[in-house]
Amino acid sequence: MQIIISNTSKEPIYEQIYVQIKKHILTNELQAGEALPSMRQLAKDLDISVITTKRAYEELEKNGFIFSIVGKGSFVSEQNNEMILERKRKVIEEQLLSAIQNSKEIGVELEELLELLTMLYKEDT
Amino acid sequence: MLNLIRKDIVLQKNSLLILLPALFIFLFLERSVIWVGVIFCFAIIMQSFALDEKPSANLLMNSLPYTRKEIVSSKYIGACVFTFLVLLTIVIGNLIIHREITQWDQLLFIASVIVVFISFAFPFSYLFKSQYLMMACGVLFVLYVVLVNTFIPDLGDRLRAGVQTILSFDNSLLYAGGILAAVLLYMFSWMLSIRIYSRKVF
Amino acid sequence: MENVIELQNVNKAFKGFELKDLSISVKKGFVTGFIGGNGVGKSTTIKLILNLLQPDSGDVSVFGLNYKKHEKEIKQRIGFVFDHNVFYEHITLSDMKKIIKPAYKNWDDGIFHQYVNLFELPLKKSIKTFSKGMMMKASLAFALSHRAELIIMDEPTSGLDPIFRRELLDILHDIMQDGEKTIFFSTHITTDLDRIADYITFIHNGQHIFTKEHYKIEEDYAIVKGETNLLDRDTEQEFIGIRKSNHGFEALTTNKQRTANLFGDMVILEKPTLEDIMLYTKKGNDNYVKSYS
Repeated sequence: MQIIISNTSKEPIYEQIYVQIKKHILTNELQAGEALPSMRQLAKDLDISVITTKRAYEELEKNGFIFSIVGKGSFVSEQNNEMILERKRKVIEEQLLSAIQNSKEIGVELEELLELLTMLYKEDT
Repeated sequence: MLNLIRKDIVLQKNSLLILLPALFIFLFLERSVIWVGVIFCFAIIMQSFALDEKPSANLLMNSLPYTRKEIVSSKYIGACVFTFLVLLTIVIGNLIIHREITQWDQLLFIASVIVVFISFAFPFSYLFKSQYLMMACGVLFVLYVVLVNTFIPDLGDRLRAGVQTILSFDNSLLYAGGILAAVLLYMFSWMLSIRIYSRKVF
Repeated sequence: MENVIELQNVNKAFKGFELKDLSISVKKGFVTGFIGGNGVGKSTTIKLILNLLQPDSGDVSVFGLNYKKHEKEIKQRIGFVFDHNVFYEHITLSDMKKIIKPAYKNWDDGIFHQYVNLFELPLKKSIKTFSKGMMMKASLAFALSHRAELIIMDEPTSGLDPIFRRELLDILHDIMQDGEKTIFFSTHITTDLDRIADYITFIHNGQHIFTKEHYKIEEDYAIVKGETNLLDRDTEQEFIGIRKSNHGFEALTTNKQRTANLFGDMVILEKPTLEDIMLYTKKGNDNYVKSYS
């Protein structure tokens, strides 16, 4: 699992960890049931304090992305994961729908829209 | 506490290796056993005391799992150990060099003098510093000289005679009394030092 | 959460200096960085925790035990590192080990030699030939070789080169892995704290200013920059320590959210460093004193 921390970012470090682990979970890079590194191990690896990773894990747990078992560690949650994916998909659908609506209003063809989407998609990564 | 005494011996290892053989030389030169014994005991004991006097040494000892009581007590017991070592060297030295057994009353006398001396020196040094002890001794010596020159010109002889008289006493009751007094003094000094040391700030 | 160190309403007065009603607690399993300027009472506090000093009033407890009854038990479980050499200088490291080892029930020669090798320390050279960094490494080796549950360090990184400072932090990370150990250390080098400290305890003029989770500091505090005309009697109350110049002002707020609501886009809010907080707190305190004198 790759996590890149920026010390100059305005975003707090726990937030950066939270966002990146969440992304790994949502993209299925981290699969349901998979164990996360221990808070302390992650802190050592990232050269940051334990309380920071603890906060990130707490946020992840609060929002249902992971669960922890005392003495065993933290794991990626299952059902919530699919719910979240579903929810995310719905959001994407809605956003695409409004994009299509807007396109139709000014007469942008499907092909042109696809092109634009492909371009934007590639640009972002 | 045994650890603390062992620590003093480890620290004094090198000087003991020099001083104890040096004692042989003095015995060979047939100096007064009492005088040599007292000086050597005192030198070794006070050197060991001075090493632990630095603030850093106090910081270390007190941060290790020892109580202040133990730290002080180790010095008092250690002094006895060092005295014993010196006396043992004297006995062995005399046996080898002069093929004679040292008189036990001489040894006892050295021990008593050291006990009395330490009883004053340790609380004094805990209260002030052992450096000041040397100064205090200097002042006492000056007083002694003045006393000798102005009032009692034959004080030195009298003291020597006094020591001889004490040694020539054959009264075991007197001996026992003297030793008991010295031991009581030592105990009192021990308690006093613990009190002084407990209030020290490093 | 369990507290390993607890100071309650501790007072200690010296000539010209005092700790006032100091209450500090240090959480088990975490690293607490102890900051404050020179002469504000950091070393005194550490000495109180190690029972090198006794408080005039108030309670000090370590592992939930007090020193009056459990002095040796407590010290068995503490590893200490001071900012200067406390070892006998005329003997070798191996002789020093002979002195320290028997003091601890849980001493482990294996761990000691592991650190001696790691730090490349000479066992047979007298300690007075050691450099500052080597002394520090030796102290650390002693502090870590008896499986101490609490490690107390007074300015461990001062005088060390940046490379070893990093190595030290790595070692500390390793120590913290099992979650059973606690580290409490004072420092001037606040950047070290960003890498390791879970909690920050800040004292100033013998008083406890705060103990916070490290990330909480940037949530609460902020450096505020804006035009001088924003300042008046009321708005100045919002800040501690203000630096005014011809070109604007810079100040520290302890309530970032409130300041943001109050001034909106008229000011810039920036993440404060621990040094900023120390500096402005001192400034604020001096002003406070001045206005009353």
